[in-house]
Amino acid sequence: MLSRKGIFSQKYSLYWMMAPLFIYLAAFYLYPLIYSVYIGFYEWSLGDATKTFVGFRNYVSAFQDSQFTGSFLNTAIFVIAAVGIELTLGLSLALLLNRESWPMRILRTVILLPTLITPLVVALTWKALLNPDIGALTYYIRAVGIDIGRGIFVERGLAMAGIVLIDVWQWTSLITIILLAGLKGMPIEPYEAAYVDGASRWQAFRYITLPLLRPTILIALVVRTLDAMKIFDSVFAITGGGPGTATTTMNFHIFKVGIQHLKVGAASAMSNIFLLFSVLIGLFIIRSVFLSARRKGGAV
Amino acid sequence: MLRWRQLVGVGLIAILALGISLVGFSQKPYEGEVLRLASMADQFTDYLVVLGRQFEELTGARVEVDVLGYVELREKVVLDYTTNTKQYDLATVDIVWTGEFAEKGWTTDLTPYINRDYIELNVPDILPVTWTQGEWNGKQVAFPMAGYVNSLIYRTDLLGDADEQAAFLAEYGYELTAPRTLDELEDVATFFSRPDDGMYGLVANGARGPAVAQDWMEYMRGFGGRVVDREGNVYVDSPAAIQALELFVKIFDEWAPPGAPNYWWDDRETSYRTGMSVMQSSWSIARAGYENPEISLVVGKTGMGITPTASGDNPAFGFGGWGIGINADIDPDRQDIAWEFIKWIASEEIQKEWMLNDGAPIRLSTLLDPELNEAMPWLPTMLTMFIHGDGDYRPRVPEYSQIQDILGLRVNQAITHELTATEALTLAAEEIRELYAD
Repeated sequence: MLSRKGIFSQKYSLYWMMAPLFIYLAAFYLYPLIYSVYIGFYEWSLGDATKTFVGFRNYVSAFQDSQFTGSFLNTAIFVIAAVGIELTLGLSLALLLNRESWPMRILRTVILLPTLITPLVVALTWKALLNPDIGALTYYIRAVGIDIGRGIFVERGLAMAGIVLIDVWQWTSLITIILLAGLKGMPIEPYEAAYVDGASRWQAFRYITLPLLRPTILIALVVRTLDAMKIFDSVFAITGGGPGTATTTMNFHIFKVGIQHLKVGAASAMSNIFLLFSVLIGLFIIRSVFLSARRKGGAV
Repeated sequence: MLRWRQLVGVGLIAILALGISLVGFSQKPYEGEVLRLASMADQFTDYLVVLGRQFEELTGARVEVDVLGYVELREKVVLDYTTNTKQYDLATVDIVWTGEFAEKGWTTDLTPYINRDYIELNVPDILPVTWTQGEWNGKQVAFPMAGYVNSLIYRTDLLGDADEQAAFLAEYGYELTAPRTLDELEDVATFFSRPDDGMYGLVANGARGPAVAQDWMEYMRGFGGRVVDREGNVYVDSPAAIQALELFVKIFDEWAPPGAPNYWWDDRETSYRTGMSVMQSSWSIARAGYENPEISLVVGKTGMGITPTASGDNPAFGFGGWGIGINADIDPDRQDIAWEFIKWIASEEIQKEWMLNDGAPIRLSTLLDPELNEAMPWLPTMLTMFIHGDGDYRPRVPEYSQIQDILGLRVNQAITHELTATEALTLAAEEIRELYAD
């Protein structure tokens, strides 16, 4: 048994210093997570005094719920489209902004502005701009002859595209800044050597920039993918998951089950599935980029 | 010398005692108390905030009004009630939440207060239909606060125009008047639908969720349909309900502005007030706003008529609106102060003042008041509607929120042609039956 002196000795000081962090993590991360897993096994409506243990029934019911499985598909479509476009645009903008000139310096600051606005405010602004009857943007879209039917958020085939558009507008600049930081940290020597050997700009980009930027792209991809999977604000404020179920994402469906219907047991089970899925996706992205880098012998 | 000192001493004590008693006398009864009220953001809300300030001047109790949208309001108060956080002392309660709030015991039963203050409240003056805002199995879990009736709102300048009347008569073979039957409604809506001129015959809410569900239920009532009864029998897939949904789909296909499938209440009202739509079925709370040039382009051009029914006979009017309830978790002393506030805003004097400032009536005396009638000539029509009001056409059952969510999706799927009317309501009926089976 350790003496008091022993516990408070230099040897254990590191643990004492980290104790507040562990307490914080246990209280605000671990406890909610364990509690969520716990109530996922119960049939429980918020406000009811009793909970009934139902084992895995909430999990089975979640997979039998067509709205939940549909929301899974909608979320996947949203994430692939939004993050794909954001990454492509973000990389292009980062390459553009990597030049040193005063307009670029100003642009680097301005481009960050969308990320500073509350997502709900962004959603409501876009809702007004794309209002099918009196929206300014709708007017110009129609004026240039683009067929959007009754309106972007009214047509089932276009509503998700509208939600993707808003996400791209708000978060592309975040990817741009992450990738720009990666570009700024690159060594100049490989480019000098490549250009001396007669490499074109495209070849320099393809065989030097992209491989060296891969770790930064990985960070941007993981951060944005996990964040995009939680899409909620614009769905809540603009479409309410509609038309029909066209924009019902997993987070929005879980919110409806848990907060509107107060079925917290069922909602927790869905949240746990969602969490597991998010972790798997994150691991998949990291693993596939690592494997690809190893195969090509590139940097990770 | 000593006598003088004694006299001065006695005099000082007397002045001090008088001062203390005067301070005590002038002190307001609830000085330092704070009532937190969660309120729906509607036309009545701005003046509710003003009334809160007046109540503070009178009683010393500060009323903090948290103004929230429909979905957020329910979320916030329900989470407050279920987690016993006592964040709100008072909340506006939608008529359709009555059964749920009563069964869960979230808001306190006001019956003892009402019985105690029966004379002071002048209870017989309160219109019978308004008690549906909170009445459930003998309990009164919210007090009537703002009564709404659903009626047909239409443009009198267009329906009364001689050229339009002649053209309508030539096309349909009968006089153009405010429609009383659903067939007439179709004719008038078709006649005035001129998208090339930016004019649409009839508009309704289409956005998934409470907006589309509640507007559809008003048309369903016109066909004599119903959703469920209190015993849990489901009627939502009846022929009358399906017929109502087929007409509802037609509104969006043929008569409403393009964006209507994504309309909430404010969008629908904007569409009418800007002159885009000619007719709508709407709550009476919005009526005064049509005459306000700051928010309306149709000032002096609005008529308020009966909501058309299939037969045109026995007109009834969908009744709704907001009651006000007291959080059952708060201390009895705070409940007493909250009740004083309710009693005060429900008084004849304040109801009249509120009505002049975008309020909604609950009292017969308000609707008969000569000064109000002069300012609002539509009040006699509104009184008739209150007398024939139906507060149960949207089922005020404990399961209402989930039923509304089911209908909010299925009806929206019908108007966006993901499902046919029959498919949508068959699915809705199955889901509602499952709800009761659980």
